[in-house]
Amino acid sequence: MRILVAMSGGVDSSVVAGLLKSQGHDVIGVTMKLWEGPNGEMPETGCCTASDSEDARKVAATLDIPYYVLDYTESFSEKVVDNFIDMYAQGLTPNPCVECNRSVKFDHFLKQAKNLNCDKVATGHYAKVIKKEDNYELHKADYLDKDQSYVLHMLSSSTLEHVMFPLGTISKPEVRQIAADLGLKTAFKKDSQDICFVGKKNYRNFVDKRIDISTSGDIVNSDGSTMGQHDGVHEFTVGQRKGIPGGQGAPKYVTKIDVQNKKVFVGEKQDLLISDFYLEDVTFVNGIQNTKLAIQTRYNSEDLPCEIEQISESRLKVTLLQPTYGVAPGQFGVLYTGTKLIGGGRITSKLVEKVTI
Amino acid sequence: MKKNEYLYLDHAASTPMRDVAFEAYKKTESEAFANSAGGHALSRKAKNILEESRDSIASHFGAAPKEITFTSGGTEADNWIIKMPFINNKNKNAELVTSAIEHEAVLGSAEWVESLGYKVNFIPCDNNSLIKTDDVLEQVNPNTKIVSIMLANNETGVVQPIKEISYGLKSLESGLIFHSDVVQAVATTKIDFHNLGVQSAALSGHKIGGPKGIGFMFLSSEVKVPSFFHGGKQELERRAGTVNVSGVASLSAALDEQQKNITKQNQNILKERTDFEEMIKHSLDVMVVGDSVKRLEHISNIQFKNIHSETLMVALDLQGLGVSRGSACASGAQRPSHVLQAMKVSNDKINSHLRFSFGWNTQVGDGIKAAKIVLSSIEGMK
Repeated sequence: MRILVAMSGGVDSSVVAGLLKSQGHDVIGVTMKLWEGPNGEMPETGCCTASDSEDARKVAATLDIPYYVLDYTESFSEKVVDNFIDMYAQGLTPNPCVECNRSVKFDHFLKQAKNLNCDKVATGHYAKVIKKEDNYELHKADYLDKDQSYVLHMLSSSTLEHVMFPLGTISKPEVRQIAADLGLKTAFKKDSQDICFVGKKNYRNFVDKRIDISTSGDIVNSDGSTMGQHDGVHEFTVGQRKGIPGGQGAPKYVTKIDVQNKKVFVGEKQDLLISDFYLEDVTFVNGIQNTKLAIQTRYNSEDLPCEIEQISESRLKVTLLQPTYGVAPGQFGVLYTGTKLIGGGRITSKLVEKVTI
Repeated sequence: MKKNEYLYLDHAASTPMRDVAFEAYKKTESEAFANSAGGHALSRKAKNILEESRDSIASHFGAAPKEITFTSGGTEADNWIIKMPFINNKNKNAELVTSAIEHEAVLGSAEWVESLGYKVNFIPCDNNSLIKTDDVLEQVNPNTKIVSIMLANNETGVVQPIKEISYGLKSLESGLIFHSDVVQAVATTKIDFHNLGVQSAALSGHKIGGPKGIGFMFLSSEVKVPSFFHGGKQELERRAGTVNVSGVASLSAALDEQQKNITKQNQNILKERTDFEEMIKHSLDVMVVGDSVKRLEHISNIQFKNIHSETLMVALDLQGLGVSRGSACASGAQRPSHVLQAMKVSNDKINSHLRFSFGWNTQVGDGIKAAKIVLSSIEGMK
């Protein structure tokens, strides 16, 4: 097969290219240039830096495969970065990696793969595609600590048909071993956890520079009294403790953000305990399924048993069997049955309204 | 696909070295490797080769030998002539006039001059990437130190009215330096610098089958520019640094062969390009940039309707045809070109251009061969 491999310059995608090549496939490596500085330069930190694409190029040279850096900056800037800033401006917690997979990476990448007569695309994500009769299912990786199916929840069966995740059955130490055996220079490279376009810098500074919502407002206590001032609602997300005046006895948490009136509401921890919320822009891998469901409300968080009720085609009400803390509006809720991913959607901001004080 | 079957149509970026250039390089490096500034027999040998080469190179351009200063290439020459008049300059109102479609070497230098606080005028072009003489002359005033306009654009091949501009500038009696980056033009143009009317010019060896890392600045004897590199007294005290004599000899050999064959070479290139463009135009909805104006024989910049040129470039490469899209950045991704932006190509079309450039070793049939690869690649993209 001819396979287009997305190579970030990290060890995982390097090994994907190496494995597929050693299996005899016609492998083409691509680094997506997602983000750049004002003069077109690659960022210095994060996951798609100039040195990362340099690593990917070296791996491709070692493997003797064609390799290209392709420009995805325009759609990334429009669909991921702008969204990231908007979300903070609304007091929500964005997940740019999911947003990128949702609206930039797979869409454009698959189109390019088709134009280049490729049969499949492959990435270094830890997840599994399993064919069941005519459908393609998305499953958690065998090694759950590395599972990345959460960030891939938007892929439908018809997309998965063209996608390979060769690392779904392999552990991270094995991946590093394979890389070392293949003589790839990325074998012992540290994993990047940074948001690629923010890097190691504070994301709040990044947002501050790009939006003008830094007008101050009130921090409001659960009894309705004003307990202080803040410098802008974008500095807060629900569940946060930082930035709230101290000396209040029990620790205080942000429970609600009123963007329009620039108010940040705070309360006790139990105020954040919720049992139901909504998902919007919901997509399903193979249609809705209602039994034995559990939900992850953050990347790599624990599975919370739940029930769902379909409100409309792309909107679900989720009821947790056990109330929980730390459900952040703006993040994605992803539904599973066992290891099988059912679908997911954005946790709606309505949650914020529901937390009454 | 075997490597030797690869069809290279990116001569505007760089050309393969001619055998005579290889031989001259090797011969000089083995027989006259000494420092040309030394005082012994081997240095004299190197110095003799250097000066013979300078004489020969100068004669190809109607220039006096002392008007030729060897540099590391076109970029160095452009940086030198554009920046130096603004360094330690006492007139804070000094101005620079250049165009929006210059090579990055000129644009980058001009932006640096601008960052010092000087006024820089970037002359726009029309939708053929052609600069209008009047637009240039209008911006010239007694404060203008340098006017820098390329002889032909490297992305579209469109030839600029340099002689007309120089004529206009002379009538202004402005005492400025008129510089032209001729790096791309020299591949298919016979140039006489004095006849062209420029006071300085930048040229690079690797566009005509010479080696990379060698080029020269033509500086008319009537003007003086301070040195850019300081150190030893090489190159008539204009440019410090041990002279790359082997590179110079190699460049000279490449130029000798190129100039001798240039008429025949251009006929061949033009035939192949015409075959290529005709076949493409016959089968696809395309627009050839500068089709109706004077254009260098070797460049074909094509706008493919509804085709993402980056993907097409990859598809062509996978089929064994090497072309280019715009200016490359360090990471390898290619961004929409500043030339197309200056031509006001709309956003939906700016990412559908590719540049095909033929060269001195283009073979009979390459045009048709390339067109067939383009057509089959586009067919595969549907």
